Amino acid sequence: MKTNTMSYKCKQFAMFAGVTTVVFAAVVIIPFLYGLYLTFTSWDGVSTQKPFVGMANYVSTFADTAYWQALGRTFIYAIIAVILVNVVAFILAFLVTSGVKGQNFFRAGFFIPNLIGGIVLGYIWKFVFNRALVALGESLSAGALSTSLLATSGGAMFCLIIVSVWQYAGYMMLIYVAGFMSVSADVLEAAQIDGCTNVQTLVHISVPLMVSSFVQCLFLTITRCFMVYDVNLSLTKGEPFGSSVMAAMHVYNQAFTYKNYGTGQAEALILFIVCAVIGVLQVYIGKKAEVSA
Amino acid sequence: MKKKILAMTLAAVMAVSLAACGGGKDGSGDSGNGGGASGDGVNITIFNSKIEVQEQFEEMAKEYSEKTGVGVEVYYSNDTVAAHMATRYSANDPYTLSMVDAKDVYSLAAEHAVDLSDQDWVSKTNYAISVDDKVVGFPVCIEARGLIYNADAIKNITGKDFNPEDYKTTEEFAALLEELVAGGMAAPTAVMKEDWSLAGHFLSETYEEQPEVEEFVQALYKGEADLANNSKWNAKMDTFDLLLKYNYAADSPVAAEREVSEQKLAEGEVAFMFGGNWDWSMINAYEYSENMGMMPLPQTATDGTNEKLVGGGSKYFFIDSSDNTTDEQRQAAKDFLNWLVSDAEGNAFLTEKCNLVPAYSNIDAQSLDPLSLSVKKYADEGKLIANYDYLPDDHYSKCGASFQKYMAGQVDRAGLAAEIESYWSSTTPVEH
Amino acid sequence: MGMNEKAARNKKINHAIKIIILVVLFICFIFPFILVLLNVFKTKADITTNPLSLVGEHGFTLENFPEAMEKMNFWRSFANSAIITILSTIFTILLSSMTAFVIVRNKWKACGLLFGLMIASMVIPFQVLMIPLVSLYGGILGVLSHRATLIFMHVGFSLSMATFMFHGAIHTNVPVSLEEAATIDGCRRWQTYWKIVFPLLKPTIATVAIIDAMAFWNDYLLPSLVLAKKELYTIPIATQVFYGTYSTDVGLIMAALVLAMLPILILYLFMQRYIVEGVTSGAVK
Repeated sequence: MKTNTMSYKCKQFAMFAGVTTVVFAAVVIIPFLYGLYLTFTSWDGVSTQKPFVGMANYVSTFADTAYWQALGRTFIYAIIAVILVNVVAFILAFLVTSGVKGQNFFRAGFFIPNLIGGIVLGYIWKFVFNRALVALGESLSAGALSTSLLATSGGAMFCLIIVSVWQYAGYMMLIYVAGFMSVSADVLEAAQIDGCTNVQTLVHISVPLMVSSFVQCLFLTITRCFMVYDVNLSLTKGEPFGSSVMAAMHVYNQAFTYKNYGTGQAEALILFIVCAVIGVLQVYIGKKAEVSA
Repeated sequence: MKKKILAMTLAAVMAVSLAACGGGKDGSGDSGNGGGASGDGVNITIFNSKIEVQEQFEEMAKEYSEKTGVGVEVYYSNDTVAAHMATRYSANDPYTLSMVDAKDVYSLAAEHAVDLSDQDWVSKTNYAISVDDKVVGFPVCIEARGLIYNADAIKNITGKDFNPEDYKTTEEFAALLEELVAGGMAAPTAVMKEDWSLAGHFLSETYEEQPEVEEFVQALYKGEADLANNSKWNAKMDTFDLLLKYNYAADSPVAAEREVSEQKLAEGEVAFMFGGNWDWSMINAYEYSENMGMMPLPQTATDGTNEKLVGGGSKYFFIDSSDNTTDEQRQAAKDFLNWLVSDAEGNAFLTEKCNLVPAYSNIDAQSLDPLSLSVKKYADEGKLIANYDYLPDDHYSKCGASFQKYMAGQVDRAGLAAEIESYWSSTTPVEH
Repeated sequence: MGMNEKAARNKKINHAIKIIILVVLFICFIFPFILVLLNVFKTKADITTNPLSLVGEHGFTLENFPEAMEKMNFWRSFANSAIITILSTIFTILLSSMTAFVIVRNKWKACGLLFGLMIASMVIPFQVLMIPLVSLYGGILGVLSHRATLIFMHVGFSLSMATFMFHGAIHTNVPVSLEEAATIDGCRRWQTYWKIVFPLLKPTIATVAIIDAMAFWNDYLLPSLVLAKKELYTIPIATQVFYGTYSTDVGLIMAALVLAMLPILILYLFMQRYIVEGVTSGAVK
């Protein structure tokens, strides 16, 4: 059978990826393009009219200082959260692959936060920060704890970061666990015989061999942190005084609460471009590191 | 072998479901909101945006359907009303009857609402909304803002019956608060930190109590209003400072949880909180005191504003005018609105079941909750200052954020006034 | 001898420290769950008064459960959630694994393009697609408010990530030589795939299944846009009545949380072994 003819290729592609292509295009690509078109209109979201306005929405996006502030805030949040998530995840992975008793139990336990949706999770944590910690602080008469962390602008960001770490660390841990396990035992043994300490083995042998795990985890955490919405909404609602509004929430408010649909859509598009650039850049650098390692 | 069977089963499931997906597309004809689809009558959908009466509405829907044969389904969404309406309209799947806020009526009615000018109830209310000289908004109830008090808690300390009319000015009110503290109430007030309460309810009173409201708002847009030296603003803020000073969460006012505040107020741990009669739906979850009520916000004023609550019609029904709704459905919706106003059962539903202050002169309401009774009393006496319904959509969130800064001590009064002024001057005026 | 003993003792201490760190972190990780369990058996008033007390002043109560179940119409919502989650998950797995297979094994332009678009789509904020999706499927096609539509969209949105994961798994865990042997045996590609490749993907299938099932089960935004009819509500949408702007009933929220979490928790415990294995092996590349 000939396998290099056009008709064979088409048949094969259609057989395996045909449905996928159709569904993917219908749900993601076409709405995306339609959304792109909407950024050139001044639609308010409810009207039957969609007047064409050219670049006006992009102009007002650039004039929207609150948006750039939110984006800047998202950067800060994302950088800290990404680092912490990965550090915690890495430490967890290290601990649960070091042969301690019940490590499967621990692996499962750390993964549990992934079982709950963002909205619900935000409400639980709001309860923890606003009530439980405050009640605890009062009963211990520890001054710092007796007021809610969510009430200060720094505190609200801090809470968001804590919850993000809590939410993602378990999942990323599993990817790092995989990385640790892919480092072959022979290599590790050889290192030990050569007189490497545990730390040296970790830094010089395991880590370089786990670059692909790092790339994957970073990609996932970066994109998720830049698009954070659910937890932002249910945990802080952007409060206090709008100091914890992240980019996605600003976009949502702009489009729906303030009814500047076109501007909201344009701002969302810029957020997408930022995410895409950082994501791709990160993968690119990571792949290079992988090759050289 | 087992794997083959598994694979085949999966493939079969997939084929069936894909057919179902396809079927969904073909069946687009009946995916509206079931335009008279059921055999014995019309079906209508109602969007309710008052969460506290959702249960009552659902119960009523069942009974109403049984009695009239009109199928009624009641929906609620915890998205903002405007956002929810946007998604329903862009999906071409609007509700027959939608309960929305005044500002949404103004933004939606021109394109999407039915003219209700010829309805009987129009002559029985002062609160209906008209757009382009057509009545489009059916007022669901009257709601008002003011100071909620717990008279029992006050009496416990002062030993005298509490008479709200004795405390009209900031000074009188301050003296009472001092007396309460001296008598052993650690902190006599609660202040809500929610942006809708701060800016949507409290700050907006500053506009609503101006002698010329519209003029004042236009001046704000133009950047010409001098808020910092406005006497109304300063009178309001003096009282606000007082509430803040005696607030149980004075250490960290922006951390106050609404549930906790309502509980303290209900159980008499604090005596005052700025709010509205809707707060009863929270208060009644706790062991509330018997004698509670609402009074005008004390403030130093000579224009009589410290003798009135601020409020009026709240939440409006409009009927969808698009092709997605049939004439039969529209008629059924009109009948439903008439039932609410003109039928004894409809009246009882509004006032007894839902505890709403009726916006219609023919409806009598005896069994309301204490806060609503206060509101009704002020409304009946004509002592309600009207709501200003044309605030921009982002007013409450942006000015609310500024107010929270003030509560947290990050800006002073002048700074807050400046932030509010700059919000207004950078905002596109709402057309009306 | 002394040296060895010392080393052994050091090792023991090391081990103990690790266990202690793990236990502390573990408690941090499940603290919120403990809190939920602590409060779900209290009345609203007691939760507000003291969220940390073991039993409220009004005593132990189970009332939150029947009330929450009734208000969210639990069994109907549960059935909807289950149907939607199960079917969406099955389709996602079948479609994405097949697609990953053809992409990994062929260097065609179409494959590269599709895969590239899929990766790029993983960073599209959902807000960008929300209204266009509703306008297209509701406004133009008029197919919203069907479970099938939601399943269709769930699958569409999750294909990228799933294909990405299967891509890695096929790349590293399925030797080409096995397939070649099968081809020589006379298997067509289709049969090769189902007989040889698919069974080898079991760990990744378990991973994708649990990750997607969790995402579908918990998803709020998309179902809230698509399912405008009551009888179609899933659990997350049915519980939204508990989170009003002007009134919240914490007791009911707690009960709803437990009810919504329980099925997925049971599924998780049941599949735990596969998941840990699955995420592990699926992530190798």
